[in-house]
Amino acid sequence: MKKSNLALALAAAFAAAPALGQATVDQKLQILQQEIDDLKAQARRPAGPGQQASPYSLDYSSMLDRSSGLANGGTNVVGYGEVAYGKFRQSGNATADLQRFVFGFNHRFDERLTFHSEIEIEHAVVSSADNGEAAIEQAWLNYKVSDAANVKGGLFLIPVGILNEMHEPPTYFGVMRNQVETRIIPTTWRELGAGVHGVVGEGLSYDVGITTNFDSGKLDERTTGIRSAHQEGQEANARNLAVYGALNYRRPGLLMGGGVFTGNTGQNGASNPALQGVSARLTLWDVHAQYRIARLDLQALYAAGTLGDADKVTAAILAAAPTPADAFAAPKTLKGGYVQAAYHVYKQGNFDVAPFVRYERIDIKQQEDPANGLLQDPNNIERIKTFGVNFWVHPQVVLKADIQRYATDKSQDRFSLGLGFMF
Amino acid sequence: MNWRPRHSLALLTLALGTVAAGLVRGEVHQEPDAFVAEVFGSRPAPKVLWLTKDIQTQAAAILGHPPAQLRQRYWSDSHRNVWILEEIGKEELITAGFVVVDGRIDHVRVLVYRESRGQEVRYPSFLKQFKEAKLAPGERLDREIDGIAGATLSVAAMERMARLALFFDRMSRK
Repeated sequence: MKKSNLALALAAAFAAAPALGQATVDQKLQILQQEIDDLKAQARRPAGPGQQASPYSLDYSSMLDRSSGLANGGTNVVGYGEVAYGKFRQSGNATADLQRFVFGFNHRFDERLTFHSEIEIEHAVVSSADNGEAAIEQAWLNYKVSDAANVKGGLFLIPVGILNEMHEPPTYFGVMRNQVETRIIPTTWRELGAGVHGVVGEGLSYDVGITTNFDSGKLDERTTGIRSAHQEGQEANARNLAVYGALNYRRPGLLMGGGVFTGNTGQNGASNPALQGVSARLTLWDVHAQYRIARLDLQALYAAGTLGDADKVTAAILAAAPTPADAFAAPKTLKGGYVQAAYHVYKQGNFDVAPFVRYERIDIKQQEDPANGLLQDPNNIERIKTFGVNFWVHPQVVLKADIQRYATDKSQDRFSLGLGFMF
Repeated sequence: MNWRPRHSLALLTLALGTVAAGLVRGEVHQEPDAFVAEVFGSRPAPKVLWLTKDIQTQAAAILGHPPAQLRQRYWSDSHRNVWILEEIGKEELITAGFVVVDGRIDHVRVLVYRESRGQEVRYPSFLKQFKEAKLAPGERLDREIDGIAGATLSVAAMERMARLALFFDRMSRK
């Protein structure tokens, strides 16, 4: 900030002095002195790209520090995370875990072009001897033509379900993410690709695009549907791509929408030669709704999917398994849904307390091969009841507690405590 | 689906079509000057609210962070005040204009929305919730504002700005 600018600031201040004001002359002088000190401090700092002023700020608010906004050329940091404690009813065991810490950098190149990213570290420690995992959850560029038209490209989240795109802990109920949007919709589900999205009309948003797809040859978990076949932008086999589309309608308190994702997953046997020439088309879709009226908070979701050529995928899993015991039947159809209700019993200032209940059903039907002993896993037919409470101490910080009861796999019955945040 | 050149062409066409269709509009929905002129029929000379230490302290309590400004300009006629404020939603500044009459919000408009998501906060179905809102004890709004799924932080920023506009308005009339 140069002398001329200082003079301008002073001139503007004194020019405005005759206007209505409640401050005394001494107070005004103190304020002006503070502004001058801040301007001098700014002048001493090298001009950082993130400190470019908004075209409106000086005119309307005489703002001094614009570094917190994402001005052209600016970069900022976002993040979220959650800590969970779980005590299992059957075994009596308990675990405490920094489930995830995610941070991201967002950069604005100009008024239209931005970059968004999230880097996730799960379970605190990442090493060959630990369960931790580090991953890029998102890394995509967005070109905003208008509210109605954005073009994006890179590694981005697939707009199927509610949780996949909106998974920061303060935005959902319960310590653990719901199982339907974990085992049927494999949250946090991202693919490499390109898409177009925007809001048209008043509140109707769309998102369509072409992306990489799952690779059925990589299936290695028997109770998580298609989840273990995800590629997450890691040298993804891309012979077979997918297309997706989503429509959501948002009004204050209301969300209704759905999404669909479809494409072949055989990848011409790139990771399992037994799938050469096998299409193994996967189609996943969902419909969902959220309704908030007064203090009542309702949410429901239904998701379903099919995996074509499931018999060939089962055969491929058997062929690739080190031992027959490691093999399992591939998922053939996936269905699941939940209903959830919460009531905000106490809202005062930043504090918000909301008990909730949720009922989930999961039905993953597998393509059995009785001759080779590959049968339906009973844990793939599950019913889960969750009773709990979220206590927001700030809109971006939440404490959680809940009890979960599983109808089939009772080893998962637990009491959980959680702490989540986002910024 | 196997990747073929025609898919690239289709995607490129879609992207270019989108860009071409959207070039007529940007993120500025109304210039702040135009908003002031619309309210008053002309643009009156701005007045200034000096943010004394006390006002700064109370503004910080409303915003959850210190106010960035030390003097706040506003426009006024005999009974209406217009406040143009900026606050960060998730990561970008939202610029909004608030018209306050007799300590109540007459209407609100989002003038510039820079985030790539959460644009629903600029539509009348959301903004009409602020009509007639006034400050309740604790500098809270006298009503609950229904949020928009996926726009939590933008909604919160709009609420903070509404409270700040009403608070500034009260201070300007003392």
